[in-house]
Amino acid sequence: VSESDLILGIVVATALAFDFTNGFHDTANVVATSISTRAMPPRIAVGYAAVLNFAGAFISLAVAATVAKDVVDAGAITPTVIYAGLIGAIAWNLTTWYFGLPSSSSHALIGGVVGSTFVAAGADAIFGEGILGKVLVPALIAPVLAFVVGGIGIVACYRIIGRQKPGPVTRGFRLGQILSGGLLALAHGTNDAQKTMGVITLALVANGSISAEAEVPTWVIVSAASAIALGTYTGGWRIIKTMGTKIIKMDSAQGFSAQGAGAAVILASSHFGYPLSTTQVIAGGVMGAGAGKRISAVRWGVAGDIVSAWLLTLPAAAAIGGITYAFVNLFPGAVGPLIVSALGIGLVIYAFARRMRKVEMVPA
Amino acid sequence: MIATIVDTNALWQTIAGAFVAGVGTTIVFSLAILGAARFSEASREGHRLHATFFGALMAISLLLTAAAIVVGVIVMTTKS
Repeated sequence: VSESDLILGIVVATALAFDFTNGFHDTANVVATSISTRAMPPRIAVGYAAVLNFAGAFISLAVAATVAKDVVDAGAITPTVIYAGLIGAIAWNLTTWYFGLPSSSSHALIGGVVGSTFVAAGADAIFGEGILGKVLVPALIAPVLAFVVGGIGIVACYRIIGRQKPGPVTRGFRLGQILSGGLLALAHGTNDAQKTMGVITLALVANGSISAEAEVPTWVIVSAASAIALGTYTGGWRIIKTMGTKIIKMDSAQGFSAQGAGAAVILASSHFGYPLSTTQVIAGGVMGAGAGKRISAVRWGVAGDIVSAWLLTLPAAAAIGGITYAFVNLFPGAVGPLIVSALGIGLVIYAFARRMRKVEMVPA
Repeated sequence: MIATIVDTNALWQTIAGAFVAGVGTTIVFSLAILGAARFSEASREGHRLHATFFGALMAISLLLTAAAIVVGVIVMTTKS
């Protein structure tokens, strides 16, 4: 095995690890409302989302290999740059999971790659206009749009069903949530698994393993779909709790309105080619569905923490990506990525063990 | 300057599409639930005309909801 093949292998494994954290982290967005309104039992909800995420990854391959396009100079991308960018994204995903905050995995990935490219090739390799147009402006629009759609939706819904008996209404909206949650999970699979496929394909091209015109290899599609589905099934319960109960205490109509707003905004943005973050859209929809009932129903302190995490995502992932690249470059060949991967795995095990110990210490 | 960086055409289309689909689907599904609740009430009380009207409202609204889901799946499979 040549050294470049070894680095490529580490990059592929890291990309799949990122994909796992993406499913693990973003499950909350898809299933939290269904779980909190008891539309589905928790394990069934994450299993349902995992299957649809897996299926979604096969539906469309159109956006693969475009993850950092227009944001950094493609000529500056090497397997080591991609590796450092992935480490930045994984580290930020795990940090926000640790604190139970929903944040955008896509923005973390873009941030990580921007940071590592900056250290590797300098400021000229970073496209400021691309970051503004592809990340910052959409990050402002996504939650606001979903908030307005979710808010107006729930106001209209309460007007229509206001005087009916709560029992049948609750059952009806719970059934509706199974459908709207399914659409969300499918949309998430078509969007997010593509990013990992794009990253792996980019690394294969950069390594010279396939030509730039080659199609995404089947093993890449299958492994990316499996990693995101597995991560989804594992379930990021801490973020599920934040999204499902900490922002608002929602009823099934609000859950349906939030998921409907989320699915509509994601699908509209997919259709018209305007990139929006799934996480930000759904969090905006949940807040809108809460505020539509009563402004004070939204716990604005929690909402503020979430917005802070969004603001920090790009710079924090970029900083970790940049530092990782600089560190990896201190060592020859594959030694740097091996050291960072070993350290990373150790840190993850430590964080999980610490989190589990805290959970055990809480009396039942 | 912003207009040259941001694809404003796609942005406005996204806003309009999301608004119509999101609010529209919630309204249509709410009408389906209203129809179902009032249909069962009217049937129980023997008001056939009311039951027929609300039954039709429920059926049409459910069909429109199903159509919205089908359109959503088509959008996913045909995205460029």
